Amino acid sequence: METPYTDHLTSHEYEHVYEPAEDTFLLLDALEADLTFLDNLQPRLCLEIGSGSGVIITALAKRFSHGALCLATDINEHACNATKSTANRNATKVESIRCNLASALRTRSVDVLLFNPPYVVTSDEELHNQLFEASPESRHINMSTQRNLVSSWAGGKDGRRITDILLQQLNDILSPQGVFYLLLLRENKPDEIIDKLVSLNFKAVKYMERRIPGEYLYILKITRS
Amino acid sequence: MKLSTYNFLTSMAIKGVKVGYPLKLTINKKEVVETEFNATFVERLLPKLDWSAIYSAAQVVELTDDIPAVQPENIAENEQLMQKLHHLLFEIDVLDGQLECPETGRVFPITDGIPNMLLNEDEV
Repeated sequence: METPYTDHLTSHEYEHVYEPAEDTFLLLDALEADLTFLDNLQPRLCLEIGSGSGVIITALAKRFSHGALCLATDINEHACNATKSTANRNATKVESIRCNLASALRTRSVDVLLFNPPYVVTSDEELHNQLFEASPESRHINMSTQRNLVSSWAGGKDGRRITDILLQQLNDILSPQGVFYLLLLRENKPDEIIDKLVSLNFKAVKYMERRIPGEYLYILKITRS
Repeated sequence: MKLSTYNFLTSMAIKGVKVGYPLKLTINKKEVVETEFNATFVERLLPKLDWSAIYSAAQVVELTDDIPAVQPENIAENEQLMQKLHHLLFEIDVLDGQLECPETGRVFPITDGIPNMLLNEDEV
Protein backbone atom coordinates (compact mmCIF):
# COMPACT_ATOMS: atom_id res chain seq x y z
CA MET A 1 0.00 0.00 0.00
CA GLU A 2 1.29 3.44 -0.85
CA THR A 3 1.68 6.00 1.92
CA PRO A 4 -0.43 8.94 0.79
CA TYR A 5 1.08 12.31 0.02
CA THR A 6 0.35 14.91 2.70
CA ASP A 7 2.39 17.82 1.34
CA HIS A 8 -0.82 19.75 0.60
CA LEU A 9 -1.56 20.01 4.34
CA THR A 10 0.15 22.88 6.12
CA SER A 11 0.62 24.01 9.69
CA HIS A 12 -2.59 25.97 9.18
CA GLU A 13 -4.59 22.73 8.78
CA TYR A 14 -2.74 21.12 11.67
CA GLU A 15 -4.02 23.86 13.96
CA HIS A 16 -7.43 22.23 13.54
CA VAL A 17 -6.73 18.64 12.52
CA TYR A 18 -4.64 15.88 14.11
CA GLU A 19 -1.34 15.53 12.28
CA PRO A 20 -0.43 12.00 11.13
CA ALA A 21 1.90 10.41 13.69
CA GLU A 22 3.16 7.00 14.84
CA ASP A 23 -0.37 5.78 15.66
CA THR A 24 -1.53 6.67 12.15
CA PHE A 25 1.37 4.75 10.62
CA LEU A 26 0.76 1.69 12.81
CA LEU A 27 -2.80 1.49 11.52
CA LEU A 28 -1.51 1.82 7.94
CA ASP A 29 1.05 -0.92 8.56
CA ALA A 30 -1.63 -3.22 9.97
CA LEU A 31 -3.82 -2.74 6.90
CA GLU A 32 -0.87 -3.39 4.63
CA ALA A 33 0.00 -6.56 6.54
CA ASP A 34 -3.59 -7.78 6.22
CA LEU A 35 -4.07 -7.06 2.51
CA THR A 36 -4.55 -10.72 1.58
CA PHE A 37 -7.43 -10.93 4.04
CA LEU A 38 -8.88 -7.66 2.75
CA ASP A 39 -8.54 -8.75 -0.88
CA ASN A 40 -10.45 -11.92 -0.10
CA LEU A 41 -13.10 -9.97 1.79
CA GLN A 42 -13.74 -7.86 -1.34
CA PRO A 43 -15.09 -4.90 0.63
CA ARG A 44 -17.81 -2.81 -0.96
CA LEU A 45 -18.14 -0.16 1.74
CA CYS A 46 -15.19 1.10 3.81
CA LEU A 47 -15.56 3.65 6.58
CA GLU A 48 -13.07 5.49 8.73
CA ILE A 49 -14.53 7.12 11.81
CA GLY A 50 -12.75 10.30 12.91
CA SER A 51 -10.68 10.48 9.76
CA GLY A 52 -8.76 13.66 10.70
CA SER A 53 -6.22 14.36 7.95
CA GLY A 54 -7.69 11.47 5.94
CA VAL A 55 -4.39 9.68 5.44
CA ILE A 56 -5.61 6.22 6.48
CA ILE A 57 -8.85 6.09 4.51
CA THR A 58 -7.03 7.59 1.51
CA ALA A 59 -4.47 4.78 1.58
CA LEU A 60 -7.30 2.25 1.71
CA ALA A 61 -9.16 4.04 -1.09
CA LYS A 62 -6.05 4.00 -3.30
CA ARG A 63 -6.00 0.23 -2.95
CA PHE A 64 -9.73 -0.58 -3.02
CA SER A 65 -11.65 2.27 -4.64
CA HIS A 66 -12.02 0.33 -7.90
CA GLY A 67 -14.40 -1.95 -6.01
CA ALA A 68 -15.42 -0.17 -2.83
CA LEU A 69 -17.08 3.03 -1.77
CA CYS A 70 -14.84 4.74 0.79
CA LEU A 71 -16.49 7.02 3.35
CA ALA A 72 -15.07 9.07 6.20
CA THR A 73 -16.80 10.71 9.14
CA ASP A 74 -15.56 13.34 11.55
CA ILE A 75 -17.30 15.79 13.87
CA ASN A 76 -14.74 18.44 12.90
CA GLU A 77 -15.47 20.27 9.66
CA HIS A 78 -11.78 21.01 9.11
CA ALA A 79 -11.11 17.27 9.26
CA CYS A 80 -13.92 16.58 6.75
CA ASN A 81 -12.33 19.10 4.37
CA ALA A 82 -8.79 17.82 4.97
CA THR A 83 -9.90 14.24 4.30
CA LYS A 84 -11.42 15.18 0.95
CA SER A 85 -8.37 17.17 -0.06
CA THR A 86 -6.01 14.36 0.94
CA ALA A 87 -7.99 11.96 -1.24
CA ASN A 88 -7.88 14.45 -4.14
CA ARG A 89 -4.14 15.03 -3.69
CA ASN A 90 -3.66 11.29 -4.03
CA ALA A 91 -5.90 10.95 -7.08
CA THR A 92 -8.54 8.88 -5.33
CA LYS A 93 -12.02 9.45 -3.97
CA VAL A 94 -13.18 9.53 -0.37
CA GLU A 95 -16.57 10.89 0.62
CA SER A 96 -16.65 12.98 3.80
CA ILE A 97 -19.67 13.08 6.06
CA ARG A 98 -19.77 15.31 9.09
CA CYS A 99 -21.36 13.32 11.91
CA ASN A 100 -20.80 11.62 15.23
CA LEU A 101 -19.19 8.15 14.82
CA ALA A 102 -21.32 6.27 12.25
CA SER A 103 -24.65 7.71 13.38
CA ALA A 104 -25.70 8.98 9.92
CA LEU A 105 -25.24 5.65 8.15
CA ARG A 106 -27.70 2.85 7.51
CA THR A 107 -27.20 -0.12 9.81
CA ARG A 108 -25.00 -3.12 9.12
CA SER A 109 -23.47 -1.67 5.96
CA VAL A 110 -19.77 -1.35 6.67
CA ASP A 111 -17.37 -4.05 5.44
CA VAL A 112 -14.13 -2.44 6.62
CA LEU A 113 -14.27 -0.12 9.62
CA LEU A 114 -11.26 1.88 10.84
CA PHE A 115 -10.98 3.90 14.02
CA ASN A 116 -8.02 5.65 15.58
CA PRO A 117 -9.98 6.96 18.57
CA PRO A 118 -9.27 9.77 21.01
CA TYR A 119 -7.37 7.41 23.30
CA VAL A 120 -5.41 9.62 25.68
CA VAL A 121 -6.32 9.08 29.32
CA THR A 122 -7.80 12.27 30.77
CA SER A 123 -10.16 12.77 33.67
CA ASP A 124 -13.80 12.60 32.59
CA GLU A 125 -14.21 16.05 34.00
CA GLU A 126 -11.37 17.29 31.83
CA LEU A 127 -12.86 15.62 28.77
CA HIS A 128 -16.26 17.10 29.45
CA ASN A 129 -14.94 20.53 30.30
CA GLN A 130 -12.79 20.67 27.23
CA LEU A 131 -15.46 19.30 24.94
CA PHE A 132 -18.42 21.22 26.22
CA GLU A 133 -17.41 24.18 28.32
CA ALA A 134 -14.05 25.42 27.11
CA SER A 135 -15.67 27.97 24.88
CA PRO A 136 -19.11 29.51 24.99
CA GLU A 137 -20.05 28.40 21.48
CA SER A 138 -18.76 24.88 21.89
CA ARG A 139 -22.20 23.34 22.35
CA HIS A 140 -23.09 24.50 18.89
CA ILE A 141 -21.90 23.54 15.48
CA ASN A 142 -19.13 26.13 15.27
CA MET A 143 -16.53 24.50 17.41
CA SER A 144 -13.48 26.31 18.58
CA THR A 145 -10.06 25.32 17.33
CA GLN A 146 -9.27 24.06 20.80
CA ARG A 147 -12.26 21.76 20.82
CA ASN A 148 -11.40 20.40 17.39
CA LEU A 149 -8.01 19.25 18.47
CA VAL A 150 -9.02 18.15 21.96
CA SER A 151 -11.73 15.93 20.48
CA SER A 152 -9.05 14.20 18.41
CA TRP A 153 -7.20 12.89 21.46
CA ALA A 154 -8.99 13.34 24.81
CA GLY A 155 -10.45 9.98 25.82
CA GLY A 156 -11.68 10.45 29.39
CA LYS A 157 -11.40 7.61 31.93
CA ASP A 158 -8.96 4.95 30.65
CA GLY A 159 -8.97 6.85 27.35
CA ARG A 160 -12.03 4.77 26.54
CA ARG A 161 -15.12 6.95 26.68
CA ILE A 162 -15.59 7.31 22.91
CA THR A 163 -14.33 3.82 22.10
CA ASP A 164 -16.79 2.26 24.57
CA ILE A 165 -19.69 4.11 22.95
CA LEU A 166 -18.63 2.80 19.55
CA LEU A 167 -18.31 -0.78 20.81
CA GLN A 168 -21.93 -0.68 21.96
CA GLN A 169 -22.96 0.38 18.43
CA LEU A 170 -20.67 -2.02 16.57
CA ASN A 171 -23.34 -4.66 15.97
CA ASP A 172 -25.39 -2.05 14.11
CA ILE A 173 -22.45 -0.74 12.08
CA LEU A 174 -20.58 -3.78 10.75
CA SER A 175 -21.96 -5.80 7.86
CA PRO A 176 -22.29 -9.56 8.47
CA GLN A 177 -18.80 -10.21 7.05
CA GLY A 178 -17.35 -6.88 8.26
CA VAL A 179 -13.98 -6.33 9.92
CA PHE A 180 -12.95 -3.57 12.31
CA TYR A 181 -9.41 -2.36 12.93
CA LEU A 182 -9.17 -0.41 16.19
CA LEU A 183 -6.11 1.39 17.49
CA LEU A 184 -5.54 1.27 21.25
CA LEU A 185 -3.04 2.31 23.85
CA ARG A 186 -1.94 -0.05 26.63
CA GLU A 187 -3.67 2.28 29.13
CA ASN A 188 -6.96 1.62 27.32
CA LYS A 189 -6.75 -1.96 28.73
CA PRO A 190 -6.97 -3.90 25.45
CA ASP A 191 -7.57 -7.24 27.20
CA GLU A 192 -10.61 -5.81 28.93
CA ILE A 193 -11.85 -4.53 25.56
CA ILE A 194 -11.33 -7.97 23.99
CA ASP A 195 -13.41 -9.56 26.79
CA LYS A 196 -16.10 -6.98 26.28
CA LEU A 197 -16.15 -7.66 22.53
CA VAL A 198 -16.45 -11.39 23.14
CA SER A 199 -19.48 -10.73 25.36
CA LEU A 200 -20.94 -8.73 22.47
CA ASN A 201 -20.46 -11.75 20.13
CA PHE A 202 -17.35 -10.52 18.41
CA LYS A 203 -13.94 -12.06 18.00
CA ALA A 204 -10.96 -9.80 18.66
CA VAL A 205 -7.21 -10.36 18.39
CA LYS A 206 -4.20 -8.15 18.95
CA TYR A 207 -3.20 -8.02 15.30
CA MET A 208 -0.18 -5.74 15.67
CA GLU A 209 1.60 -3.91 18.47
CA ARG A 210 4.39 -1.36 18.65
CA ARG A 211 6.36 0.54 21.25
CA ILE A 212 6.85 4.18 20.43
CA PRO A 213 8.40 6.85 22.65
CA GLY A 214 6.11 7.23 25.65
CA GLU A 215 3.35 4.93 24.39
CA TYR A 216 2.64 1.28 23.66
CA LEU A 217 0.14 0.83 20.85
CA TYR A 218 -2.03 -2.04 19.66
CA ILE A 219 -4.21 -2.72 16.66
CA LEU A 220 -7.17 -4.94 17.47
CA LYS A 221 -8.70 -6.84 14.56
CA ILE A 222 -12.36 -7.51 15.24
CA THR A 223 -14.85 -9.68 13.36
CA ARG A 224 -18.18 -11.28 14.18
CA SER A 225 -17.77 -14.61 15.96
CA MET B 1 -21.58 14.06 -2.06
CA LYS B 2 -22.12 11.31 -4.59
CA LEU B 3 -25.57 9.83 -4.91
CA SER B 4 -24.12 6.45 -3.92
CA THR B 5 -23.21 8.02 -0.55
CA TYR B 6 -26.69 9.53 -0.32
CA ASN B 7 -28.04 5.99 -0.47
CA PHE B 8 -26.40 5.17 2.87
CA LEU B 9 -27.46 8.27 4.82
CA THR B 10 -30.24 8.22 7.40
CA SER B 11 -31.62 10.50 10.09
CA MET B 12 -32.42 7.51 12.30
CA ALA B 13 -30.15 8.89 15.03
CA ILE B 14 -32.66 11.63 15.85
CA LYS B 15 -34.58 10.86 19.02
CA GLY B 16 -38.02 9.42 18.19
CA VAL B 17 -37.32 8.85 14.49
CA LYS B 18 -38.30 5.34 13.40
CA VAL B 19 -36.85 4.91 9.91
CA GLY B 20 -35.44 8.28 8.82
CA TYR B 21 -35.03 7.05 5.26
CA PRO B 22 -34.78 7.92 2.46
CA LEU B 23 -33.85 11.51 3.22
CA LYS B 24 -35.42 14.18 1.04
CA LEU B 25 -32.66 15.52 -1.20
CA THR B 26 -32.54 19.04 -2.62
CA ILE B 27 -29.72 20.01 -4.97
CA ASN B 28 -28.70 23.64 -5.44
CA LYS B 29 -25.41 22.98 -7.18
CA LYS B 30 -23.91 19.84 -8.63
CA GLU B 31 -21.17 18.79 -10.97
CA VAL B 32 -20.87 15.81 -13.23
CA VAL B 33 -17.49 14.13 -13.19
CA GLU B 34 -17.00 11.43 -15.76
CA THR B 35 -15.49 8.30 -14.27
CA GLU B 36 -14.60 4.98 -15.84
CA PHE B 37 -17.54 2.58 -16.04
CA ASN B 38 -16.93 -0.55 -14.02
CA ALA B 39 -19.85 -2.94 -14.40
CA THR B 40 -18.53 -5.30 -11.73
CA PHE B 41 -18.38 -2.54 -9.14
CA VAL B 42 -21.96 -1.44 -9.82
CA GLU B 43 -23.15 -5.03 -9.75
CA ARG B 44 -21.39 -5.80 -6.48
CA LEU B 45 -22.60 -2.65 -4.77
CA LEU B 46 -26.23 -3.07 -5.83
CA PRO B 47 -27.23 -5.58 -3.12
CA LYS B 48 -26.10 -3.01 -0.54
CA LEU B 49 -28.08 -0.20 -2.10
CA ASP B 50 -31.71 0.61 -1.42
CA TRP B 51 -33.65 0.93 -4.67
CA SER B 52 -36.19 3.37 -3.22
CA ALA B 53 -33.38 5.84 -2.52
CA ILE B 54 -31.80 5.17 -5.94
CA TYR B 55 -35.14 6.08 -7.47
CA SER B 56 -35.66 9.15 -5.28
CA ALA B 57 -32.18 10.35 -6.31
CA ALA B 58 -33.10 9.74 -9.96
CA GLN B 59 -36.24 11.84 -9.46
CA VAL B 60 -34.25 14.74 -8.06
CA VAL B 61 -31.79 14.77 -10.97
CA GLU B 62 -34.59 14.05 -13.48
CA LEU B 63 -33.26 10.74 -14.68
CA THR B 64 -36.46 8.75 -14.18
CA ASP B 65 -36.56 7.99 -17.91
CA ASP B 66 -33.40 5.98 -17.32
CA ILE B 67 -34.04 4.48 -13.90
CA PRO B 68 -37.23 2.45 -13.28
CA ALA B 69 -39.23 2.87 -10.06
CA VAL B 70 -38.95 -0.81 -9.23
CA GLN B 71 -35.70 -2.76 -9.41
CA PRO B 72 -35.81 -4.98 -12.50
CA GLU B 73 -34.83 -8.65 -12.42
CA ASN B 74 -31.45 -9.73 -13.79
CA ILE B 75 -30.23 -6.19 -13.74
CA ALA B 76 -26.58 -7.13 -14.33
CA GLU B 77 -27.47 -8.41 -17.82
CA ASN B 78 -28.80 -4.99 -18.78
CA GLU B 79 -25.61 -3.16 -19.72
CA GLN B 80 -27.44 0.03 -20.63
CA LEU B 81 -29.15 0.27 -17.25
CA MET B 82 -25.88 -0.54 -15.48
CA GLN B 83 -24.24 2.39 -17.27
CA LYS B 84 -27.08 4.68 -16.26
CA LEU B 85 -26.78 3.52 -12.66
CA HIS B 86 -23.05 4.17 -12.82
CA HIS B 87 -23.74 7.71 -14.01
CA LEU B 88 -26.37 8.34 -11.34
CA LEU B 89 -24.42 6.86 -8.44
CA PHE B 90 -20.82 7.80 -9.18
CA GLU B 91 -20.69 10.69 -11.62
CA ILE B 92 -23.10 13.18 -10.08
CA ASP B 93 -21.50 15.07 -7.21
CA VAL B 94 -23.78 17.26 -5.08
CA LEU B 95 -21.81 20.33 -4.03
CA ASP B 96 -24.51 22.37 -2.40
CA GLY B 97 -27.96 21.44 -1.19
CA GLN B 98 -29.72 19.79 1.70
CA LEU B 99 -31.08 16.57 3.11
CA GLU B 100 -34.29 16.53 5.08
CA CYS B 101 -35.49 13.98 7.62
CA PRO B 102 -38.73 12.48 6.24
CA GLU B 103 -40.27 12.25 9.71
CA THR B 104 -39.23 15.42 11.55
CA GLY B 105 -38.32 17.80 8.73
CA ARG B 106 -34.91 18.41 10.30
CA VAL B 107 -32.65 19.84 7.60
CA PHE B 108 -29.03 18.80 7.10
CA PRO B 109 -27.09 21.18 4.85
CA ILE B 110 -24.66 19.98 2.18
CA THR B 111 -21.81 22.48 1.81
CA ASP B 112 -18.75 22.08 -0.42
CA GLY B 113 -19.90 18.54 -1.11
CA ILE B 114 -20.00 17.55 2.56
CA PRO B 115 -23.31 16.73 4.27
CA ASN B 116 -23.47 17.97 7.84
CA MET B 117 -25.38 15.32 9.77
CA LEU B 118 -24.22 16.46 13.23
CA LEU B 119 -27.02 16.54 15.75
CA ASN B 120 -27.28 18.73 18.82
CA GLU B 121 -27.16 17.06 22.21
CA ASP B 122 -30.89 17.62 22.75
CA GLU B 123 -31.81 15.89 19.48
CA VAL B 124 -30.38 12.46 20.32
